[in-house]
Amino acid sequence: MSAVLSFFGAPAVMLARTVRASLRDGVPWRESLVQLHELGGRSVWLVMSGMAFFGAVLVTIANSQATRFVGNVAVLGPAYFELLIRELGPVMSAMLTASRAGASHAAELSTMSVNEQVEALEMSAGDPYADLVAPRVIAGVLGVPLLSALGTVAATLSAATVASVAFGVDGRAFMDPRYVDGWDLLAAGLKAGGCGLYIPLAAAVAGLNAKGGAEAVGEATTSGVVAASLGCLLIDFAVSLAFQLLRL
Amino acid sequence: MESTGARMKPLAWLGRTGLDAVRGAGALGLVAGRTVLGLPRLERRELARALVQFGYDSLPLALATAALAGVIVVLQSGLYIQRFGARAFLGWAAGYGVLWEFGPLLLGLIMSARIGARNAAELATMQVGGQIEGLRGIGLDPFAILVAPRVVAMEVSMLALSAFTFLVAILFESVAALLTLGLPLRVFYGTFADMLSPLDLLGGVVKTGAYGLAISLVSTAVGLSARGGARAVGEAAASAVVRGCAAIFVLDFLLTSLLAGWMA
Repeated sequence: MSAVLSFFGAPAVMLARTVRASLRDGVPWRESLVQLHELGGRSVWLVMSGMAFFGAVLVTIANSQATRFVGNVAVLGPAYFELLIRELGPVMSAMLTASRAGASHAAELSTMSVNEQVEALEMSAGDPYADLVAPRVIAGVLGVPLLSALGTVAATLSAATVASVAFGVDGRAFMDPRYVDGWDLLAAGLKAGGCGLYIPLAAAVAGLNAKGGAEAVGEATTSGVVAASLGCLLIDFAVSLAFQLLRL
Repeated sequence: MESTGARMKPLAWLGRTGLDAVRGAGALGLVAGRTVLGLPRLERRELARALVQFGYDSLPLALATAALAGVIVVLQSGLYIQRFGARAFLGWAAGYGVLWEFGPLLLGLIMSARIGARNAAELATMQVGGQIEGLRGIGLDPFAILVAPRVVAMEVSMLALSAFTFLVAILFESVAALLTLGLPLRVFYGTFADMLSPLDLLGGVVKTGAYGLAISLVSTAVGLSARGGARAVGEAAASAVVRGCAAIFVLDFLLTSLLAGWMA
């Protein structure tokens, strides 16, 4: 029970403190830009190549389902495209970003904690929430939606290519936006934005609470990346459920 | 001088990336080979500890992931099932999706985060603290004591967890289908049982096993090659997760095309 409470509560407290500290001290925009570059530049290859492979896998699976059921995989194309935009693009990109950025944020912050650099920052009148957490949160909220858009594009292109080359159907069916409407884009944006907010917070909770030596750094990294990945799945579930209940 | 430097930059990057790739592949091969050699002299107590830590302790996380995966698959496919008017086939479609793709993939990603990072961090801590040198110094083989038990335990745990994952995911799928789409359980399990064969289950188990092997080999190789202080431990853990995820997506693609081609 306390594990569940701290799973949801600690990031919320971290968010509240970060917002309060940034309102008091001002947001370090330059540092946010640096973090956005770190997040984007480091994750973009992982996200795009991972999503390209994922798109190819999905088409292969859709093809083996379709041969048993409707005959031609191109029939599933428009529905597949909507599913990718609404669901799989954001959540898979966010999970890949969680493993890349969540792990590296948790590792950086916990290294700073065990080396007492965070205390040193406080001694020199800095605030760890405003100076360390806020830029990462801003970078996540802006960066994860951008990364998931790129990931969706990569998955779509690879799906269309595999469909045309390997299965000999018209690949353009896999980028047919017939079923895509504003609600799908809203759901995708909410998922990506929510994950972008949650990943840095979960990593910061794990990283700033690290106490000890090298061992603590390892533990903090592990718990940060696990919390970030599970959080992405939970956010995806919550948004999907909300849209399902509203029948959008 | 400067223009030459700018022109050489991509070449230098290419060379560095190529060297890194070769070095990484070599390290992976070495770890795999020495693990196989270390198997007969496997440390039993370490194996038991790793089995508890990787398998039993991961159970809540794996089951939570499975439940979420099942419900998400039904919530999403519900849209298309209604669109194509094929409600009765939900059991088959959702079961196929979880067995072939989402069960193994999500379990692999979560376990790569949990076990991959922890393995790399533990081995990197020992490497950085000189404990691995110490083991060698007293004539013990670190691969037999530290690496082989982890690889074996990871493989056994992943195969066992995959069974629970599939079970829980399909249970949650059927309940979610009942609650959101009003599909009777009998209809769900009817098409599930009629249209899926044991071979479909095998596909998921093969994938999970391959991911388990990839996670344990990648994370131990990354952990053993850590050099430095506390910073190196964090970097090793982070890069083990990233490489584990990349390996999972590549393996997913290879295995899916291979198995789909073989079963068609």
